[in-house]
Amino acid sequence: MENKKPLSPHIQIYRWHISSLVSISHRITGIINIIAISFICLWSSLLILGESNYNMINFFLSSIFGKFIILGIVWSFSFQILSEIRHLIMDMGYGFELQTTKFTGLLVIIGSFILTVAIYLVGKFFF
Amino acid sequence: MNGSTKKWIFIKISSAILIPLMLWFIINFVSIYDQSYSEVLNFFTSKLNKLLFSLFIIFAFFFSSLTISEVFEDYISNEKTKNVANRLLYISAISISFLTIIIIFNLK
Repeated sequence: MENKKPLSPHIQIYRWHISSLVSISHRITGIINIIAISFICLWSSLLILGESNYNMINFFLSSIFGKFIILGIVWSFSFQILSEIRHLIMDMGYGFELQTTKFTGLLVIIGSFILTVAIYLVGKFFF
Repeated sequence: MNGSTKKWIFIKISSAILIPLMLWFIINFVSIYDQSYSEVLNFFTSKLNKLLFSLFIIFAFFFSSLTISEVFEDYISNEKTKNVANRLLYISAISISFLTIIIIFNLK
């Protein structure tokens, strides 16, 4: 049965600005995160099969490509964390002024890269 | 309260709970992902880590399923396709999280 409700206009219709970039990136990172979390579940579940089976995935994760994937996951998580905080603040009724939305949007984009580096350094050297 | 309002409230509550869990997990993940089998096993056999990791998985899948079903709502017009996509999403979210938690609690 075809739904009569109109669909959301597709993204190519709009002129790009910071809020739309944050919005679409939020959705994309949400999908990346559910895939990443499924792989994290698989990775942790492989522990039950013993050391020899685990070593195969360990070999992949220790490679340059593996590290690149991990860095990508850290960025995707960082983006979601900051973007969700922005959403929660907006849900409380704050930050709707045009200049503020642009500023907080920029804060999410730039902050996600800073948070990625911070998480990586804290995880590697302080834990 | 209608279904959409309930869904929105569930998304917001799970988001607020998920943010600290996500931060906790990603820092720990970075510290152990390239470590030896015994180091990673040590992490997952700690009672506190088992509990926090299980909560992280439950809230992550719960939150992701609800938000991705919103994406389906926005971009899939055919009701039948949308229902199938939503069912597949919910079944995989429940089964992956359930199986992982059982395995994690059986690690020694």
